[in-house]
Amino acid sequence: MKILMLVMLLCYSFASSSGDTTIHTNNWAVLVCTSRFWFNYRHMANTLSLYRTVKRLGIPDERIILMLADDMACNARNEYPAQVFNNENHKLNLYGDNVEVDYRGYEVTVENFLRVLTGRHENAVPRSKRLLSDEGSHILLYMTGHGGDEFLKFQDAEELQSHDLADAVKQMKEKRRFKELMIMVDTCQAATLFNQLQSPGVLAIGSSLKGENSYSHHLDSDIGVSVVDRFTYYTLAFFERLNIYDNASLNSLFRSYDPKLLMSTAYYRTDLYQPHLVEVPVTNFFGSVMETIHTNSAYKAFSSKTSNSKINSEMPLNQLSEDDELQKANIPNDELKTEKQKCPYTQMRVDLQEKLEKLENVDTVVNLSIAVMFIVVMVSSSLL
Amino acid sequence: MAEEQKTKPCRFWIWALTSVFFRLILISFKGNLNLSSRPEVSTPLTSIRRLAEGYWLKQASMSPYAGSMYHGSPLLLSVLGPLTVQRIKGQPSHLLCSLVFVIADILSAMLLRGIGQKLQMAYGLNARLLGFLKSSRDKVILPCGDIAALVYLWNPFTIVSCVGLSTSPIENLAVILALYGAVTRRVPLAAFGLVMATHLSLYPATLAIPIIILLGYGLDAPPIKLFLQTRSVENEKSSTSTVSKQAKSKQTTRLPFLWKTVVHFLFWVLLWSLYVLVLCALSLNKYGGLEEMFKRTYGFILSIEDLSPNIGVFWYFFAEVFDFFRNFFLIVFHVNILFMLLPLAIRLKHRPCFLAFIYLAISSILKSYPSVGDSALYLSLWALFVNELVDMKFSFFLFCGYLGISLLSPVMHNLWIWRGTGNANFYFGNAIGYACFQIVFVVESVSAMLNHDRALKRSNSNHGKSQELSH
Repeated sequence: MKILMLVMLLCYSFASSSGDTTIHTNNWAVLVCTSRFWFNYRHMANTLSLYRTVKRLGIPDERIILMLADDMACNARNEYPAQVFNNENHKLNLYGDNVEVDYRGYEVTVENFLRVLTGRHENAVPRSKRLLSDEGSHILLYMTGHGGDEFLKFQDAEELQSHDLADAVKQMKEKRRFKELMIMVDTCQAATLFNQLQSPGVLAIGSSLKGENSYSHHLDSDIGVSVVDRFTYYTLAFFERLNIYDNASLNSLFRSYDPKLLMSTAYYRTDLYQPHLVEVPVTNFFGSVMETIHTNSAYKAFSSKTSNSKINSEMPLNQLSEDDELQKANIPNDELKTEKQKCPYTQMRVDLQEKLEKLENVDTVVNLSIAVMFIVVMVSSSLL
Repeated sequence: MAEEQKTKPCRFWIWALTSVFFRLILISFKGNLNLSSRPEVSTPLTSIRRLAEGYWLKQASMSPYAGSMYHGSPLLLSVLGPLTVQRIKGQPSHLLCSLVFVIADILSAMLLRGIGQKLQMAYGLNARLLGFLKSSRDKVILPCGDIAALVYLWNPFTIVSCVGLSTSPIENLAVILALYGAVTRRVPLAAFGLVMATHLSLYPATLAIPIIILLGYGLDAPPIKLFLQTRSVENEKSSTSTVSKQAKSKQTTRLPFLWKTVVHFLFWVLLWSLYVLVLCALSLNKYGGLEEMFKRTYGFILSIEDLSPNIGVFWYFFAEVFDFFRNFFLIVFHVNILFMLLPLAIRLKHRPCFLAFIYLAISSILKSYPSVGDSALYLSLWALFVNELVDMKFSFFLFCGYLGISLLSPVMHNLWIWRGTGNANFYFGNAIGYACFQIVFVVESVSAMLNHDRALKRSNSNHGKSQELSH
């Protein structure tokens, strides 16, 4: 009983700390690389680096939607076939094993992107390609490619505009597809892309302001193209120091961007996001660290927990205490009933039950009775 | 002959003690020779590991039936539970439990010997009454008690189920206790044995019929018609046998049914069952009480929830039956045992011990979770009837069949589970073969017994004719 109260309290505090009354249940990541062709190698390397980071910190493939043009690793121009690097020291092969791309090649379109966000797919789309988030999900949306003033170029053929994105996010909020959404954009004039956002619970950071370009970090002379962008490079520099147990805050991430090194201003907007950035750990979005609540009871507790724990988010705490009182009052209720009936048999049974409940050494009684049983058997069989 | 008779008991004790030593040696091996993990030995009902788990759950203040591991009696939990936990330094684990099972086996063997001695006396008495034997030395009556006890002790199935730590030795002890009580007319003991056997596993409830017949009519005997034929022949000779006196005075073709003993027996059954139920309710007071116990023990047996492979035939079938038909087939399989009870009782009512053996054999073929411990029981009960079943056909074929099946069963299991080169059909084919051999065994023993009775009848009528002719 006490444990249940504690669980309720914890959930309530959790709910109240994030502004609405649902609890954070899972983390999703949607990583989009909107460019194709060989000279946009760095955009794919950006996305794959973030994919690796997010997987390393705990989000499984089932909850990552990776949209890539995926034409770098096996490109005829790639000197290192089936390998994608984000640094000229070639230490890390991002395209090693265990890379699961959900949308590749010409499937990376604005239409598919918006369908992923809003969840409005055709019937035949498999589950691995759907964003199956719910109202307790934290979603990380990372986009990289070529962008401009209030638009983002998709595969050199079409564009995603800022009001399209804001509309999709508004639909997501209405359909309760996320609890908190973090948008991270690494393109030129990235901050303009989320100008039109108005839904609460959204945190957005872009690599550059309006009128600024986002630059690549360095050129790999072996591969022949730039392999990583500055914003993503410094993001990764921050994350490579972390493991799944660290609780660095988002504030420290955002403070780590130096405009001089980025050659642009990393701008973030928090007006739609209620919690303080100092209190929010990065693993809320970039990893998958779950809060576990330890209880002592094992099997039986589950049956009672499922019956009581339909956590109705609107139920205030004083109602909970009333439930407890009702349950405690059940035992005196039985006594009331027997008094009303005044039947000696039920009275005897109730007395017997109370005596049994008081009796602590039931086991010794049972063992003694078994021994008595054997003795009676032997005696009676020898006599009769 | 007297010397032979003297040395025979000595030989019996030598063999018995040797088997006990053999078991003790096998127990001292580490890990019980991995026999407790064999599906033929330990079923969900008899496994000691599940009992240890149930005991641990009880110690952790949870219902012992939580988690669907333990499905046995709470009294067994109180008795054997603490023994599974105690460890003696330097000895293999579960040593105390193994000793309990060895003691159970010894007791069962001694009780079997007692039953056999009674049956042997009855056989000799009946033979003399029917006029086959002038004295007890004419025809060699085999000491069926000694043979049955030795068969029980040296049967590889019994040894394996004792060393493999299944609770079958205790269930077998309860059944043999019931039969011993009925045979020696100790009514409380018979009632106690029946109640305990039914409480531990559901199927010995069918033994109520042969035990009532045993208490009402007496021991195994040739059909009453033979005695009446002898009476009509000896009428002219005016002999003074007790049966003919009784028959003359009664002038009926029926044996007297001792109602008083049977009512006494039912009273004791009621008493013991109330006692056992009260004890179970006490020990499961906080965890759901008797209803929970019945649902988890008898309900588990009857609804066949656990479909892990064993040496029976149900698991394969119920793994593939559709849910819609599951209840229907459960009823069919259980009625399969029930519908055979009445006809067999009618046909074999003059031989209640043999009837008990047949009931046990049928329930060990058709029960939900059979194991080799059940076969151990009915094979040793079969040995009680060596005098009558001398001319049983196919005995060598059945012996080879049992041997082959018990050797192939671990092989098929290994092929299926461990190597992956076989599949469930291999193991299930083995189980079907085992069931077939058991069925042939049961059918042949019944037909051998009935042939024995017919042979007695024929020779009796021949004897009578020859006596008439001589007159």
